[in-house]
Amino acid sequence: MEQRTPSLRSVAWLWFGIAVAILIIGFRQAIFLTPTDAAQGDVGRIFYYHVPIAMLSLLFPYLNFAASLLYLYWRMRDPLKALAADAFALASAEVTVVYATITLLSGMIWGRVAWGIWWTWDARLTSMLLLWLLYVSYLMLRNFSPTGQSHTLAAVLSIFAAVDVPIVYMSIRWWRTQHPAPVFGGGPNAGMDKSMLPAFFWNLAGWAVWGIFILLFRFALERRRQINEQEAALHAIEASLEIPQ
Amino acid sequence: MTWHSLFDFSTMANRHLIAAYAVVLGIQAGYLGWVARNWMRAKGSRD
Amino acid sequence: MTYLRHVLDHLRKDLRLEWRSRDSINGMLFFALLVVVVFGLAFDPTSYPTTTRQISGGILWVALLFACITALNQSWNRELRNQVLEAQRMAPSPASALFLGKAIANMLFVLVVEAVLAPIFIIFFNLHVLGSVWLLALVLPLGTWALVVNGTFFAALGLRARNRELLLPLLLLPISLPALLAMVQATTGILTTDLDSIQIGTWIKQLAGYDIIFTTICILLFETILNAE
Repeated sequence: MEQRTPSLRSVAWLWFGIAVAILIIGFRQAIFLTPTDAAQGDVGRIFYYHVPIAMLSLLFPYLNFAASLLYLYWRMRDPLKALAADAFALASAEVTVVYATITLLSGMIWGRVAWGIWWTWDARLTSMLLLWLLYVSYLMLRNFSPTGQSHTLAAVLSIFAAVDVPIVYMSIRWWRTQHPAPVFGGGPNAGMDKSMLPAFFWNLAGWAVWGIFILLFRFALERRRQINEQEAALHAIEASLEIPQ
Repeated sequence: MTWHSLFDFSTMANRHLIAAYAVVLGIQAGYLGWVARNWMRAKGSRD
Repeated sequence: MTYLRHVLDHLRKDLRLEWRSRDSINGMLFFALLVVVVFGLAFDPTSYPTTTRQISGGILWVALLFACITALNQSWNRELRNQVLEAQRMAPSPASALFLGKAIANMLFVLVVEAVLAPIFIIFFNLHVLGSVWLLALVLPLGTWALVVNGTFFAALGLRARNRELLLPLLLLPISLPALLAMVQATTGILTTDLDSIQIGTWIKQLAGYDIIFTTICILLFETILNAE
């Protein structure tokens, strides 16, 4: 691990640099190069941050689900791999909450000026709020449950949450078909003029690359903590073995 | 849009645009900072 | 058949224990009554009969939700004393039988509370059910099972957590929100006939689907969390 570290660090810094570069290009595209929207004016530029991040926030929960399944599978068979899977599950849950928070807040700020309301219980907003609630409850479980158990319990909760996400989406959509409410804009790709595409794709790419970077960084941090804990536990055991002599 | 018109705080629309971008960048930077700070701490205890 | 026998044994055990002290049911009944009174004061049903009918579905289910949570929190308490849980883990019967027995017991308790609560609710809120009462008799058990099955599971999940009682609603509510939506919409639709029978039927089917999916998941995963250490 010591010998791999320098090249791994260079890759990490490189990836970080790429993410920042793409984001800067995306920012330039969104703010300066894309023509002003006819209907919404300049405030419509929030679209280029809000929509890509909203789309990405639907991806990370499934990374969490996959990692939780791997954890439960490896738990008895290969504990070391299981621990790594658990670290990845935690990292992806946190990144989900970060992206969902950003989606909700940026959407509210946009909605306030574009439609005059901070919030409405339309299909997309409600579903995003429920997604946020599910993964915040996952993080709370990790904090509240006793050490040793928290990995397994959280993995199980993650399965519940991941199954719930499509159910939430379908039921709320059905609810809003019955009682239509003001909708915050059309679908993500509806009404996207060709002039909007460069800014949209640069920002989508930028936030995706950033998301991968921050996910792996958080994963590495969690792995480091796990290894520190294991070493501390090992020292404690060795110390206790030396006492009788 | 130009830098000048971007930082024009007179209209509500423009203030919200700045606020939205600030929230996005702020939260991402904040999370990155939190992870980085804990990274430094976890590393320090190792050496 | 032995599986069913195990479930029935666990069920009988829980019912018998509860019957001897009756504290869980009494607590739930009184709590649900109090919640109805609070809502009555908050929303003043007599002055706004039409609005009352429209929101009464939601109020009924919120009252039941709170009553459920108070009961579920203590449903695993019996297993904590005298290291009964360890004994259960070593028992040859499958862990999910323990779970199902307890979930069914909780279900019966909540149904008893509902049976007492519904007439009180109708009286306090001056409700005339405009739609079919038989449909309501279908929605209530389906909705209750959705809350009870997940609630029993999450109560066991947080068994050794600190802030155990706080953790249950934090976990249960987000997961249950689609089911809550379905049961409130179905109940309100039946009470007010704002929805036609096809729409009510769709909500009921969604609720039934939710019940089946999450019951399956709970049964499959209970062994994992029982042996989480």
